[in-house]
Amino acid sequence: MKVLEAKGLTKIFPGVVALDRIDISFEQGRIHCIVGENGAGKSTLIKCLTGVYKADEGEIYISGRLAKEDGGLFSKVVFVPQEIDLFQHLSVAENLFIPFEQTNINGLIHQRKLEEIAVATIQEFGIHARPGQMVRELSVADQQLLQIARATMRKGYEVMILDEPTSSLTTEDANRVFRVVQRQKEAGIAVVYISHKLNEIFRIGDDITVFRNGQKIDTALVKQVDENWIIQKMIGKHLSGEQRFYSDSVTDEELLRVEHLYGSGFRDISFTLKKGEILGFSGLIGAGRSELMRAIYGSDRIYSGEIYYKNKQVYQNSAAKSVASGLVYLPEDRKRTGILPLMSVKGNISILSIKNMIVNGMVSQKQEDAKAKEFAKLYDVRTPGLDKKIQTLSGGNQQKAIIARSMLAEPQVIILDEPTKGIDVGAKYEIYRLMKTLAENGLGVIFVSSELDEILRCCNRIIVMHEEQIVDEFSKDPNKESIMNAMIGYPAQAN
Amino acid sequence: MRVNGELKSKMKAGWAKLSGNSLTAITLILVGMLIIVSIGSEYFFTLFNLQSLVRDLAFIAMIAIGMSLLLLIGELDLSVGNIATLCGVMGGLMMVEGNVNPYLAFVLALLLGIGLGALNGLVISKLKLNAMVATIGMSGVYGGVVLAVTKGRAIPNIPEEIHFLGKGNIAYIPVPFIITLILLACALFFVKKTRTGRYVYAIGNSKETSALLGINIDRIRILLYSIVGFISAMAGMLYVARLGSAQSSIGGNWAMNAIASSVIGGVSLTGGIGSPLGALIGAAVICVIQNAIVLFGVNMYVQSAVSGVVTVLAISFSSISEMMKQRNERAAEFEKQKKMRNDKKEEEKEE
Repeated sequence: MKVLEAKGLTKIFPGVVALDRIDISFEQGRIHCIVGENGAGKSTLIKCLTGVYKADEGEIYISGRLAKEDGGLFSKVVFVPQEIDLFQHLSVAENLFIPFEQTNINGLIHQRKLEEIAVATIQEFGIHARPGQMVRELSVADQQLLQIARATMRKGYEVMILDEPTSSLTTEDANRVFRVVQRQKEAGIAVVYISHKLNEIFRIGDDITVFRNGQKIDTALVKQVDENWIIQKMIGKHLSGEQRFYSDSVTDEELLRVEHLYGSGFRDISFTLKKGEILGFSGLIGAGRSELMRAIYGSDRIYSGEIYYKNKQVYQNSAAKSVASGLVYLPEDRKRTGILPLMSVKGNISILSIKNMIVNGMVSQKQEDAKAKEFAKLYDVRTPGLDKKIQTLSGGNQQKAIIARSMLAEPQVIILDEPTKGIDVGAKYEIYRLMKTLAENGLGVIFVSSELDEILRCCNRIIVMHEEQIVDEFSKDPNKESIMNAMIGYPAQAN
Repeated sequence: MRVNGELKSKMKAGWAKLSGNSLTAITLILVGMLIIVSIGSEYFFTLFNLQSLVRDLAFIAMIAIGMSLLLLIGELDLSVGNIATLCGVMGGLMMVEGNVNPYLAFVLALLLGIGLGALNGLVISKLKLNAMVATIGMSGVYGGVVLAVTKGRAIPNIPEEIHFLGKGNIAYIPVPFIITLILLACALFFVKKTRTGRYVYAIGNSKETSALLGINIDRIRILLYSIVGFISAMAGMLYVARLGSAQSSIGGNWAMNAIASSVIGGVSLTGGIGSPLGALIGAAVICVIQNAIVLFGVNMYVQSAVSGVVTVLAISFSSISEMMKQRNERAAEFEKQKKMRNDKKEEEKEE
């Protein structure tokens, strides 16, 4: 039975039709997966289906009734956001029951009583926490489960929408989420599951709908499709799943050598980086890769060990020195530590090299304009104008702007930490192609990623870290399984 | 003709740029207020009233210009009033009781201001304190020193040589206001044209990103607090020169006025948006409000309440105009996209 249905749904934003006459329906007891690149219209769809946005055209039916005639119907649709949206400084129990009006908690609030009724839910969802515990003390996985549990506290809900619930979880923790989602399905809830991870869809999905550019491209049974079908529908053109982006001009010239480096989050690290190569750093989240990169870059401290840059020992202790000597780092958390959100695209590109644009003691507007224009073009930053605020750009274009910023500083070593996180498949390929070009133009590229697939696609050499240490190293096109074993701590060399 | 057309399009582009700026809205309010007040009171456009208005404005605006620099990095300094008082009192003491050359004493007071500002910056950077809390604390310290030194009494008989700095006019323009304009020019040059100025905006956008880019946040912060200390001391000394006596209450509500001015002038409290010019215009709005209330003969006991209400109205005007602008843009966009889609549909049909 259809519990949620949209007919001819249309939503328009400045410069873009976010949803273009969408017809879609969700049925009881089925998991309906929605995939699409960023900007395909998934988030807008969710916001319309949960009543956050009012559609410009079209109708939404909930349990067969027209939603616009009764706004209360939207309370039957619960939503679990991608980014953790809990009250970090309140207890697990309080988080479960807020807002109290909707969870049958009336009158005064008794902390003890709240905790007692929370116990059953906490156990049901397998959350590793005490009801009185502060949410900030919980692991990300437990917080994610708590978010789902909180959504189910809503009286009489019939649809649950999950937005990439596993995007920051390890495989094992993701399994816990799957079990919970599966149980929702068994309880007769219509589950809407948004994900970038195709293997998850094959594992738990019943139906799949692909979105592209605000349009619904196709709906099918998950059983009847394969990975290539999905990718093709998503990006609209045929892209070989086997395409590789290795650098073809690896030299023997050593750019960077690290010897027995110790610091907070990594131990006894030794490796070399050659001119013209793409060196991959693979591993699970928390393996210590970002900490290592930040230390090499000079923004985190090093306890002991040596770093040689072009065969000369360097005592990196500041990011500014690293940039000046030709080593740049693009951080993992693009939104928080990569972009300067309120500044223009131009300002974001020029900021690292502004000292080279001083004429007569003043920043030369002419030079800045010219350089920003040149580099935005070179690195294919697509923007309505260089004066637009960078936060209005898509994730992929923000990343390319940051690459342009780094390249404007004329580096010889570039470290990219999860550069494709949260950007769509098409833009990912563009980033891979850019890295290949950079390496072939004589840079040393370090590519940190938790996605094994892209590491395999791009890297001339792969270093695997596990629990703060390097456990294994592979040359290009290695056996996928042995890398996976190394990632979880069973390197081939040890066997 | 062609030249004319080019000029026209240039003017159009210029106007688009201007009206897209939040400064324009507040400047229009200021002009509107000037018109209303000059119609409402025949005394407004008299030389005497304008001079005293501009002289008052100079002090608020000066501090506001400094404060806007700090707001640009997302911080503020609540001790500006007491820095002004302390520097004013110390400068006065040196002149009157220490027999120091008045000009030298003036300069020494400015140096003291720089030192106190730098101390604020150091405390915040090195102890990693929240700027608001730290400067409330430091303000208490500076105010305490003033009381300890003066025991609450005023220091009269400031040498007449320097009175013109506070009371005098050059070509009918009050000297403090001329100094304010010079400070504004320097501040604008600093934020718009220098490398450090660019970094100020970057820090206001995101301290984390700026640190990763290798920007020395602590150094810039200490520099900015020193500048604010310098400006506060300047305002304090000019006020002493104006009164002819150094009193321990001169900088009372300067910090709050400076913050309000900056916000009215479009400077964001969280950093990254705005300019010192906005702070000056915001200060002008506040001063005209206060002047109008006196000219209109509002009962003395409700003056403060009325001026508060009008100030809040002035602040909300710019945010309301921003909301309306966005709504209009959205409506226009919807029509545009709808039309584009329909055109496309027709094209498809024709095919």
